[in-house]
Amino acid sequence: MPNPIEEAVVRKSVRVQAPLDRAFSVFVEQMETWWPATHHIGKTPFESIFVEPRIGGRWYERDAAGKLTDWGKVLAWEPPHRVTFSWHVGPGHDSPDWVCDPDPAKASEVEIRFKAEGPSTTLVELEHSKLERHGEGYQQLRAIFDGAGAWSGILAAYAQVVAHAMEGGAA
Amino acid sequence: MSIFQKLSGGPIAVNELARTLPVSRPAVSQHLRVLKDAGLVMDSKAGTRRLYQLNPEGVARLRAHFDQMWTQAMSAFQTAAETKPVGEKDAKPNRRSRRT
Repeated sequence: MPNPIEEAVVRKSVRVQAPLDRAFSVFVEQMETWWPATHHIGKTPFESIFVEPRIGGRWYERDAAGKLTDWGKVLAWEPPHRVTFSWHVGPGHDSPDWVCDPDPAKASEVEIRFKAEGPSTTLVELEHSKLERHGEGYQQLRAIFDGAGAWSGILAAYAQVVAHAMEGGAA
Repeated sequence: MSIFQKLSGGPIAVNELARTLPVSRPAVSQHLRVLKDAGLVMDSKAGTRRLYQLNPEGVARLRAHFDQMWTQAMSAFQTAAETKPVGEKDAKPNRRSRRT
């Protein structure tokens, strides 16, 4: 049994007050309505995020100019219960930017399961595994984390905006 | 099973790793070096042997990144899923179009 502390896996679950079908469709068909805008892969922010609804389908973003950038592929497609993606987005090997590496050996996997707990309650469980496959670019990843204006800075700014919104937008 | 998974069983020598994996010893060493440079693996000396094991801190950092991302994403997803569809404006007029 691997020590859970050393497992390169992230698990999340969230219970949403929405029917199973809606939870699934918001996740895979309306991703751009909720995916944090700071986490785009292309050079410019995404306008839409697409999931081709079949095994082997592409998962990609499109920016305002129509440029497409791949995120991964659909590995399992069982609507509205389960979808699995390969996640090809890691730190670049020659640059500090996040890039899509098409090599399947360097892709992690994201599985999302949807369980109806009632007519309008759905449990959504997410597991992002094999993260160590992004390990080879990990030094760059760390540079992104620790540098000025980096991920952590973006997140801190985001948290501030949210906190203000929660307080009713008081400045 | 990957080298990384093998390492999660505890400290192990290169020879042992190579014996249980379908790759050559130089390939194992090369992979270990990459993982070590990435901060995901650390080594120690046990007598004349060098043992490799996962670096919990490195793995935790890698995981923390994705953990943060998904915490943010899932929370936003929950809000979106629970928001009453307002005429469900379809923001994807080009959804079916093929681009080259």
